[in-house]
Amino acid sequence: MKYGFFPGCSYNSAAGYRQSVDAINRLMGIDLVEIPDWNCCGATAFFSLDEFKALALTARLFALAQASGFREIVTVCNACYTTLRKANQILSSNPETVSRINEELSKESLLMEGDFSVRHYLDVLYNDVPAEKWSENLTERLKDYEVACYYGCQFTRPWGDIDHMEQPTILDRFIERLGFLPVDHSARTICCGASHAISYAKECGLLISRIIREVRAKGGRVITTICPLCQFNLDSGQKGIRNPIPVPFFTQLAGLALGINASELGLDKLLVPINRILSRKL
Amino acid sequence: MDEKKLQNIFYNTSYGKKILKCIQCGTCSASCPLTGLMEHGPRELFALIRDGDMELALRSETPWYCVSCYQCVVRCPQEIPVIDLMYCLKRMSREYDMVPVSHKIPDLYRAFSQAVDHHGRISEAMVMANYGILHPVDAFKNISMALELLKRKRLEFFPRQIIGRRWVAQLPAGEKVRKNT
Repeated sequence: MKYGFFPGCSYNSAAGYRQSVDAINRLMGIDLVEIPDWNCCGATAFFSLDEFKALALTARLFALAQASGFREIVTVCNACYTTLRKANQILSSNPETVSRINEELSKESLLMEGDFSVRHYLDVLYNDVPAEKWSENLTERLKDYEVACYYGCQFTRPWGDIDHMEQPTILDRFIERLGFLPVDHSARTICCGASHAISYAKECGLLISRIIREVRAKGGRVITTICPLCQFNLDSGQKGIRNPIPVPFFTQLAGLALGINASELGLDKLLVPINRILSRKL
Repeated sequence: MDEKKLQNIFYNTSYGKKILKCIQCGTCSASCPLTGLMEHGPRELFALIRDGDMELALRSETPWYCVSCYQCVVRCPQEIPVIDLMYCLKRMSREYDMVPVSHKIPDLYRAFSQAVDHHGRISEAMVMANYGILHPVDAFKNISMALELLKRKRLEFFPRQIIGRRWVAQLPAGEKVRKNT
């Protein structure tokens, strides 16, 4: 299994995301080929400031992927995922904008044409890796470990094709496949405040604590996320509260289920430590 | 500029006319996670635009509070792309020099785009540094967090340089592109 890979700007500093994705790829035979010289996707900031630049930034990514022979791009971040999909949608119905952007791209000897398929790494792990392959590789140690899945906003919305837009279950199903016990809760796609948490920390803190309270009430012992920004907000947003809930990436949980050591998965990089909970169970 | 003219400009953007379908049900405002902070929720904002109160709409903080969570978009019974309209209002407020000065998100976005313009990529630390010059209190509040990240080897100040950074930096502004076509 080989895919064009767009890691996004937050991937390296995200708590053990890269380590755990690499570890899973090695074990499951997935080849994520990093798009060479990739740039920032522009996120919601560029759509808010300048649409042409927003589209040009993403078009460059598509052009780079195309030059490397990829029409399918895998991302590990919700914001990158929706930004790329959104741009792809706009570009594919605006040939004039595409040709104007291609004028710009030609300065770098790049060309972007046609449609691109943008996919989240969760989609790859759940839909492309056969279920048996997971069950063959699982260790028994994490059975019945209560996990609350947090999807964030920009994975199922506004698309609704991969799963339900407000109450998705794909991550719950994946986590269950790994032997964990997903807990039912209603905060799956409640907004964490995203980058607004920098400027409006107090106000977004309320959004974060609403998620944490709901998970706690439903018996979740860890919250797992699929996006660096969601992870950071939920992890850092619990500062000062009693019995904070650890927030590992879904790939870190998958790694644990596959029997990979916590240190190889970068679990020591989480702000809310997970060791205590792990050692109690293991 | 007179408000009628601004209203027409708005209606002639990609999704502008879609607000004519708004039935003022308030599902958007009720679904918004930050509606409590807004002087007018999205429903009221659309009413202002339809009434021609363009200056009030363009100077409104509402679009800048929008976090693009798409909750309103997927629930709108009239299938109005609320977020795209918010993007459009933000861009128009920049073009006509009506960005609300009291709001901090325009500065955050500028800090973000500055980092992209210089490096082609961002690092969280660089965005914070660009932003912190304008809002030292917010930056100061994050110092202890920065130390925590540093301890865990998670803090990179400079994003990796990319070859395409010059290309990114020379991209013409959308406004200029539009005027030349």
